[in-house]
Amino acid sequence: MERRQFVIISVAIALVIAVAAPFLASGDPDGLESAFFSIYGAKPFMGSELDEDAAGAAEEQVVAATGNDFSYEAVMPDYSIPGMDKAGEVLAVVIGTLLALVLVFAVAKVSARPDN
Amino acid sequence: MHIPDAFIPMGQALIYWVIALVFIVLALRWARRSMGEEKVPLVAVLAAGIFAIQALNIPIPWGTSGHMVGAALAAIVLGSPFAGVFVLTLVLLVQGIIFGDGGITVMGANIINMGVIGGFIGYYGYAGIKGVIGNAYAAAFIAGWASLFVSSLLCAVELAIAGTFPLVPALTGLGLYHAVIGLIEGGITAGALYLIASARPDILEHPAGVSA
Repeated sequence: MERRQFVIISVAIALVIAVAAPFLASGDPDGLESAFFSIYGAKPFMGSELDEDAAGAAEEQVVAATGNDFSYEAVMPDYSIPGMDKAGEVLAVVIGTLLALVLVFAVAKVSARPDN
Repeated sequence: MHIPDAFIPMGQALIYWVIALVFIVLALRWARRSMGEEKVPLVAVLAAGIFAIQALNIPIPWGTSGHMVGAALAAIVLGSPFAGVFVLTLVLLVQGIIFGDGGITVMGANIINMGVIGGFIGYYGYAGIKGVIGNAYAAAFIAGWASLFVSSLLCAVELAIAGTFPLVPALTGLGLYHAVIGLIEGGITAGALYLIASARPDILEHPAGVSA
């Protein structure tokens, strides 16, 4: 396979995953969130029922415990675009994938060992 | 495993940032010495793939989900643990700043857990296990699994130091969930390595070394 062809096919695969992800991805809490909710009594350790009120309270408790109340408004919070539904999520993940591609290309280009 | 800002006190988060910066500098030095210009498109493509696959949370039991991290794959393909640091640092930067996934003040901790631990356990685990059992894909699976599992244990220790989680429940909780999520990491690491080795064996820094 040509190098160019390999790169194009790989980017295409990444974009297919990006478009599919919002439809396929599980909305369940991830491993860290699950551990957090179970330790703070909002979810059984090996069960799936999440107590939303207890989860909200846990988030306040943890800020009180660490004192880190830094908050930051992301442009596309949780891989979504405010005001758009599923299409916004697809767009967000696609934009993120392309941003990662371009940013890493640029930084890698600048920091790579010159060929000569 | 992206730690949010609230989970670690600001002072400790700053210490993790300083440690992460040391590894970022080392990763840039690795790039200058060992990452040839011809590798640039490959590194960028790996980052795009890792970003996309990280958005794909796969359900595991117990009302929980998990996704691949990808540092082990980057380290194995590019032949250095610092490749994992290089790619994950930039992916985490995009995730944190644009999407609010993983905190800003705690980004150093996330870079250490996923980039540094992921890259080092992934790379040296792969090299060591491959040396013993001889099969590159089995080695990639085990190293991918271990990279995620060990990352989660370090994350548990950091959160115990932070006073967010008690140590033992943190280790058992994060450890158990990530022992399962690690199967996703190991599977995709081995699968992607197989696809790359089949399509372009020459771009692997060290050949997978399994005759087809």
